[in-house]
Amino acid sequence: MKKNDIIRCLKAHKEISDYQLIIRNKDSRELFYVLDHLEINRAVKTATTIINVYVSNEKFTGSSTVTVTSADDVKSLDKKIKDAVKKAKDVKNLYYPLPPKQEQVTEKRTKKEDLNAIAGNVARAVFAADVYKEGWLNSTEIFVSNTDTQFLDSKGTKHEAESFSIGVEVIPTWSKNGEEIELYKYYESSALDYKAITKEIDELLQNARERADAVTPKKVKLPKDLKVLVKNDMLQLILDTISFDINYRNLYFKENHYNLKDEISGSRFSLTMKPVIKGCARSARFDEDGIVLKNTRIIKDGKVEKLWGSNRFAYYLKKKVTGNLPLMELEGPRSEYKNEKHLIIENFSSPQLEETSGYWGGEVRLARYFDGEKYIPLTGFSISGNIYEDLKTVELSGENAILPNYKGPKYLIFKGIKIH
Amino acid sequence: MLNKYLKANIPAAKALVKELRKTYDYASILGSYVLVKRIVVGTANSAIDELESECGFVVKVYKDGRYKEYSCDSLEGLKAKDIVRAVNLKNVCSSEFNVKMLEEKEHVEDFLREDPDKISDKEIVRRLTEIKDDMHKNEKVINTNCVYIKRETSKIFVSEKKCLTQKYDWINAMLVVVTRDGNKIKDNYHAEGEASSLKALNLLKKDSKNVLDIAVRLLDAGPIKPGKYTIITDPSISGLIAHEAFGHGVEMDMFVKNRAKARDYVGKYVASPIVDMYDGAKGVVSAASYFFDDDGVEAHKTQIIKKGILQTGISDSLSALTLGTEPTGNGRRESYKRKVYTRMTNTYFGKGNDKLEDMIKSVKHGYFLFQTNNGMEDPKNWQIQCTASYGLEIKDGKLTGKIVSPVVISGYVVDLLSSISMVSDKVKVIGSGMCGKGHKEWVYVSDGGPYLKAEAKLG
Repeated sequence: MKKNDIIRCLKAHKEISDYQLIIRNKDSRELFYVLDHLEINRAVKTATTIINVYVSNEKFTGSSTVTVTSADDVKSLDKKIKDAVKKAKDVKNLYYPLPPKQEQVTEKRTKKEDLNAIAGNVARAVFAADVYKEGWLNSTEIFVSNTDTQFLDSKGTKHEAESFSIGVEVIPTWSKNGEEIELYKYYESSALDYKAITKEIDELLQNARERADAVTPKKVKLPKDLKVLVKNDMLQLILDTISFDINYRNLYFKENHYNLKDEISGSRFSLTMKPVIKGCARSARFDEDGIVLKNTRIIKDGKVEKLWGSNRFAYYLKKKVTGNLPLMELEGPRSEYKNEKHLIIENFSSPQLEETSGYWGGEVRLARYFDGEKYIPLTGFSISGNIYEDLKTVELSGENAILPNYKGPKYLIFKGIKIH
Repeated sequence: MLNKYLKANIPAAKALVKELRKTYDYASILGSYVLVKRIVVGTANSAIDELESECGFVVKVYKDGRYKEYSCDSLEGLKAKDIVRAVNLKNVCSSEFNVKMLEEKEHVEDFLREDPDKISDKEIVRRLTEIKDDMHKNEKVINTNCVYIKRETSKIFVSEKKCLTQKYDWINAMLVVVTRDGNKIKDNYHAEGEASSLKALNLLKKDSKNVLDIAVRLLDAGPIKPGKYTIITDPSISGLIAHEAFGHGVEMDMFVKNRAKARDYVGKYVASPIVDMYDGAKGVVSAASYFFDDDGVEAHKTQIIKKGILQTGISDSLSALTLGTEPTGNGRRESYKRKVYTRMTNTYFGKGNDKLEDMIKSVKHGYFLFQTNNGMEDPKNWQIQCTASYGLEIKDGKLTGKIVSPVVISGYVVDLLSSISMVSDKVKVIGSGMCGKGHKEWVYVSDGGPYLKAEAKLG
């Protein structure tokens, strides 16, 4: 359905106080491999159209969300919106206004490549790393997408952003003495860097080789108070939890562990929420309310410097709106760990963090223990701790990493973590 | 009733299949219309929306030993040449690979399973509000979310030989309670899945007191001392073990990729001889019960483990074609925008002969584990990680009142399943789960079983 027809339909319902319209057009190509055989390829051309309808009075703001599908025509949409108005009246959330008109964001990509060609090139970059006799890529899925997102609302805000993303899911396998082991990785980037993809896949195959050589910790007798280094998914999960703890929403519901000026850590690290970081696949210049996003430092020298969050909860708490920022950058003094005994957790089965109690950990599929002379690959054990306690003495590694929503030190370094 | 728009598109789908057959050896079209109504009544955050609703089509074609797919929102104006252009890869990066073509039998049938209750949004809001208000009578409760979700799924499948339609509804009712005491914060949840709105809402109301009691008790829960213990699992944790420990490992697309250890264990003991396990969209009426899967294959009930011996896996069409087996109706998509994978449906252990009271009495020192929190599969190496929200200590055959949270079960799948020594005489299948493949491709599933007594590594 055309955008103008939707807007005309919305404007015809006088009881609507405000509305937001979000249209996301996605064009993607997908390749699915078993070993190095292309099993199936897919093309996806879809649009997702979402309307948020608001009905407000002095006390309450009610809202209802409608999805417009290809099954809708003007008549059915009109009925959907009429129903949405009725539903919004049944919802009694405390009053909050929509954000005022925002400065327009228009992000157009100048060059749009042939997605079929890019998908093929990504496949070649992936399989360029698949060169080992004992190790191979057992399963590979490649996704390349162009996404066009349009946002507009009744206050006059209009944004449009075009983005490009690559996703590669790989399952590397390594065989040793007739036994096969595997690992899992989902690589995500907004940068078209074929060399980086090959390097990433090669590192993963090396990890698979290490898991095949891995022994249980019982065989190496780990010392007490060993430094434990975590990265990737676990690092993101920890920082997501900490940043969300001081989000307006969490404070409003009193589910926060920290508040303004509280000390999170004796380590003097800083955390800045950001809209865009080069190479981060989840960059976005505006949030779901159309708020134009700006860098916001929320932790400085280990202490909470600023709270942050969406339009609605900022209004409830009478705070300045920052919007929902998608990315974070961690900075601070770096620590040297390479010369002392330490344990690097390369791969969890599924990293876990319970934000209410702070329990974190999980079953480890691959770790590397440095015994003072060499690295020994380990598997078949778990780690656990309490993140709110363990963060007090966290250290940052010297190496850096860029993840889908993160830029900063490659490792968080903890002490006193339970290994069992 | 089947969605009118999908029904009206059947002639267009047939025409497009005919047109595509001029270029391809096989063509089929899956049409999907899912209407999702979600009503949330929370402490300060309520909503009524249809955010997850969607409508679209998947065109599948076959030629020269390979399948290709095209996902789109509408068939209107869609020409065969548009599809050919979009899925035609130049300069393919692949070694030789040949999958057989689907051989279909003539089949025309319609299926309908609808929510018998007509209940207004206002009434649902009233019932959820009542539960929310009850929770807030306890001063330790800081946040509550009561949720009602109704999924109305209509699907059509059209190929040269098949024209199938189905419409089925499923209702979930959920409650999350967050409690706080000083700086200690905990949460507890409960979810019901039913084919009837009234039944789901009534059950949620009935369960809500226990959800609150546990949420308050959890404030005093500490971590468990890591070690090996005797455990009794409630049906939720039994289901989690069935699903994570074994279910993923018998998804036969994993057999194709040689990613599942289970492939080498068909006909061998993988569990204690008192263990039976099933999967199937046809086995029970629950969250993943349907008439045909997203490949247009009729639903099955598959016995995976019989008396401790692995019988067979479950499969989608493409895996079955590659392996030379019969598909079991387990081909499922997250949405019409995504690919089909072999997926579990309703996965559960069969019942045994033991009484729960006797099982508790038989434990010297261990934990009674409740409430699925999280799980992760490792089909290649059969390592498991299943997390229970909480555990109650058992000493000398009695519950001591001590509560621990969370509790992570880890170890080797066969060790865990082989240690099962008692199986209760009642089975509960819980129709409120979601399952990912790896870390994506979310589909609605159910799992469950009886109470199980086993030995496990807890942390």
